[in-house]
Amino acid sequence: MWGQIKQALAQSTAQFLTRLASLLPGVVALILALLVSITLGCILAAVVRRLLAAIQFDQLLARWSLPSLAELSPANSPALLVSRAIAALVIVAGFLIGIAAFDAEWTSLFVRSVFAYIPNVLGAALVLLVGSMVARFLGRSVLIGAVNLNLQYARFVSVGVKWLVGVLAVAMALEHLRIAPGIVKLAFGILFGGIVFTLALAVGLGSKDLVTKSLERDARRASSENVEEPFRHV
Amino acid sequence: MEVEPIEQQAQQKIEQRETADLVIGIVAEPDSESVTAIRDTVRTLPGSPRVAILIDDKTLNPQPPDSEASQAGDSTFLVPWPKLTPDAAGTPMLSMATAYQSVFAACEEFGAQGCCVVASRLESVGPEWVRQLLLPLLGNGMDLVAPRYARRKFEGLLNSSIIAPLTRCLYGKRIHNPMGPDLGISRRLSQKMPATNGSGGSAVSRGNPLASVAPAALCNGLQVCEVNIGARIYAPTDWTNISSIIAQVLSPIFIDMERYAPCWQRTRTSVSVSAFGDPVSVIQDEGSVDISRLVESFQLANRDLQEIWGLVLPPSTLVELRKLSRQPVEQFRMSDDLWVRIVYDFALGHRLRIINRDHLLKSMTPLYLAWVASFAQALASSAESTLEQRLERLSVAYESGRPYLVSRWRWPDRFNP
Repeated sequence: MWGQIKQALAQSTAQFLTRLASLLPGVVALILALLVSITLGCILAAVVRRLLAAIQFDQLLARWSLPSLAELSPANSPALLVSRAIAALVIVAGFLIGIAAFDAEWTSLFVRSVFAYIPNVLGAALVLLVGSMVARFLGRSVLIGAVNLNLQYARFVSVGVKWLVGVLAVAMALEHLRIAPGIVKLAFGILFGGIVFTLALAVGLGSKDLVTKSLERDARRASSENVEEPFRHV
Repeated sequence: MEVEPIEQQAQQKIEQRETADLVIGIVAEPDSESVTAIRDTVRTLPGSPRVAILIDDKTLNPQPPDSEASQAGDSTFLVPWPKLTPDAAGTPMLSMATAYQSVFAACEEFGAQGCCVVASRLESVGPEWVRQLLLPLLGNGMDLVAPRYARRKFEGLLNSSIIAPLTRCLYGKRIHNPMGPDLGISRRLSQKMPATNGSGGSAVSRGNPLASVAPAALCNGLQVCEVNIGARIYAPTDWTNISSIIAQVLSPIFIDMERYAPCWQRTRTSVSVSAFGDPVSVIQDEGSVDISRLVESFQLANRDLQEIWGLVLPPSTLVELRKLSRQPVEQFRMSDDLWVRIVYDFALGHRLRIINRDHLLKSMTPLYLAWVASFAQALASSAESTLEQRLERLSVAYESGRPYLVSRWRWPDRFNP
């Protein structure tokens, strides 16, 4: 009895060690691939950063009226953003190569599905990036316009617009990633509708005072001709 | 200078007329009486030069108005010309730029030695104005004849607060109205003007020949003078559109600051330019003005635009603005030094494209209104001489702030107080 137990234990230990030993080259290959990809990624990032600095990429983007990209970038430098993104891509590629080295059926399936998913991830990232830039631009336009019109709730409207575009961009990105599409659609509908309803209520209630003031001003203007401001700017 | 292609009809007119010694562009809404008066005055110019008077082809009578003149061998003739009347409803500054460009193109096409642009409303423009603007071009070899209007306290405020003192500080000549709009310009100067093509780019990213006239003349070492003329009629303020107007006026000025940076960085001090004619005085309005609306606008912006101003203005300026926003309306005063630093910082922000240029310039509107409120408060019941002293003090503040501008311009990252 005791002998059988010992034999079973020895067999399972041997089996485990054999499997571990068969995995070891894969693990070493993964570590190696990661190390190489990290080194390569860092070198490539440095080269790209130098190249972009040489062509004055940051200033070029600013000249193309894309300053909002700079605001989203680390240290306000789109060149740094691009170089870091390239480094990250190289490291991810190295990781996938390392995984594929296990030579097991499930790993190659995993790698294949990850590669098939990459276009979706890139598309979603692009949608998020553009959405964030548009949200920031529109939010600022609305804020400045509303302040120049002397609207007391300028900031509120600006934040509302920013959220509207942001929520739209996130919903589009999630749709692109095919993550719980049913829930995303429902949540997006509720959120978007909620924001529009809140804004409509706020503007409606806020404009009550505005309309009253405007009517009072018109009435004052009609009663007295001397209220015209003397300032001439241009 | 890049000359836009002129329409076939206008080209035919030139071919018929061959050449002219002078070109007068009526950029304002023309009325027949004023045009006739201008024509009569031009006939009395010394040397009887041949003068082409350009009038917008959409407003000119369809019947050729100069047929009678040509039979009589008259030296002045009217020419229908495209794109002369600015579009007041759309983007007035941009259509104004197109109109000026059209007149400069005509000057080139006619081979004229100079041109005069009349942009003020013709009710205020006496025919004598045109004569005064043309005479220095003809007799004194001047290249830019700028107007010096008789000024009321609260008129031309954008010019008084930014354009004139900034031009004086940057280019070293004391021109009271560097952007006219009524001007006399030699052909030599119009050829030195940078290309300001109207196509492409946003409304505020394009140049404007009107803004480039004075810098181009001064940086190319051309002769500049002023003529004292009467008071012009200014358009009433459109409060819903003021930020767009400010953006359209300031953007070309800041673009020229970039273009002429090597020139203005050499300037050390400012001097007066020669002036023709006697100064004309006007009756100043007395009594206080209501500035509460302007102050409220500034206070609201100080609350809501901090995130944008914080990108452009240094912390010390933001602190001073916060203090200013807490002042009661009766004691509202913005110091000249603070205003000058704000203008310089926005010029630098425009150059560095810290944020979208349109946003940047429009966010400056409440600060400008704060300056207007402070200026109005200080001058509400003062005489004309006080006005001149006040504006002189502001110009001196601009000149005193020059080292700040130059330092920030040269080392924007290193020098940030």
